[in-house]
Parts: sequence; structure tokens; C-alpha cells
Amino acid sequence: MFRAVFRLSASGARSLARSRSCYSAPLASRCYSHGRAETEEEFDSRWVTYFSKPDLDAWELKKGMNTLIGYDLVPEAKILDSALRACRRLNDLASAIRILEAVKNKAGPHKDIYPYLIQELKPTLSELGISTPEELGIDKI
Amino acid sequence: MSLAKPVMRGMLAKRLRIHLPLAFLSSFGLAMAIKFMITEPRKQAYADFYKNYDSAKEFEAMREAGIFESVQPSGK
Repeated sequence: MFRAVFRLSASGARSLARSRSCYSAPLASRCYSHGRAETEEEFDSRWVTYFSKPDLDAWELKKGMNTLIGYDLVPEAKILDSALRACRRLNDLASAIRILEAVKNKAGPHKDIYPYLIQELKPTLSELGISTPEELGIDKI
Repeated sequence: MSLAKPVMRGMLAKRLRIHLPLAFLSSFGLAMAIKFMITEPRKQAYADFYKNYDSAKEFEAMREAGIFESVQPSGK
């Protein structure tokens, strides 16, 4: 009798994983039974807009970054560009550099992501006068 | 030589797709292995021991060995 229970729950676990096929869909997959899923572009523009608010305050900047880092993705260069410009408006160089450290950490074992992002952000970084952690020598323990 | 855009989304989801069912299956498998290789033989051993256990006979043997205080060996 127990063996039957085990077999049922094993297949139950497997079909549970299969029904979560929205993992293959972009980003923070909210598995709606209604409505359509947000596309990657919509997600990106929503966040670019969030950080582009002219009177964004320091709390909203930090809250936005924290929320963004919680997702199963490394933010696109355009989102980071918007966030770095928000840091510039708030005169917050520390947060700007911290954002770079955060995305490097977020990439985890995928070491090709951070150099790519720095490459994409180079114009913004020189325009705003933001040094990377590597340039400052603070990337080593 | 500019870098190509790497994959930046869904990496945890991709990993969990494999490893979450794997985690469930391996813990299940281990639990079943323990059940059928350890607990069942242990229960069977106890059942076998007590199937033809004569408690009266065992008591007499212990009594003769003189381990009780409340009852002396039959010789004394």
C-alpha cells in the first residue's frame, strides 16, 4: 500500500515540474491562468521608466534595485543605464558603483555577463564619471 | 573585438528544471532505499525472533542464572 503512495507522489512531483513550463518564459514568471505574460521588452521598458522618473528619491532607487536584483535575470544594460542616471540625479556615486558590483555578483558563475555589460555601459560610465570597482581596486577581497 | 550578448535571463529556472525534480526523486529514492534495506529487515528480524518466542521458558532460564531479586533459582 505504501509503495503505491510513493509511486503516485513521485509522478505527482514530476508533473508539477512539467506544469511549471512558464520557467522557460522570460523573467519573474507569474503563472497567470488569466491575462497574458509580460514580454521581456515590456519588462525592460517598465524598469527603464521606473528609474527615469525625474523626482525619484533615494528610497525608491534602492527599493527598485533590490527588487530588480531579486528576479531570475541579470538586468539589461538599458535598465542599468537608467538606474545609473538616477544615481547621478541623486548625487549617489556609492550606489552607482554598488549597482555594478551587484550585477557582477548576480551573474554568479556566468563570467561572460559582467564584461559584456561594462562594454555596453562604457559610454554612460565615462559620461557620468563612474569608475568601475575594478578601476578602483575594490573588486578584490 | 566586441563581446556578444550572453544569456542573461532564466538561468535559475533552467537549473531548477532539472535539479528540483532530481532533488525530489533522489530524496524519495534514498528514503525508499532506507526503508527497504534497513527498516524492513529490522522489523522482519524482530518478527522472526518473537514468532516462536517462549517467554515462560526464557524467564526460567533467567531465573536459574540468578539475576532476579524477587525470585530465587529453583535449586535454593
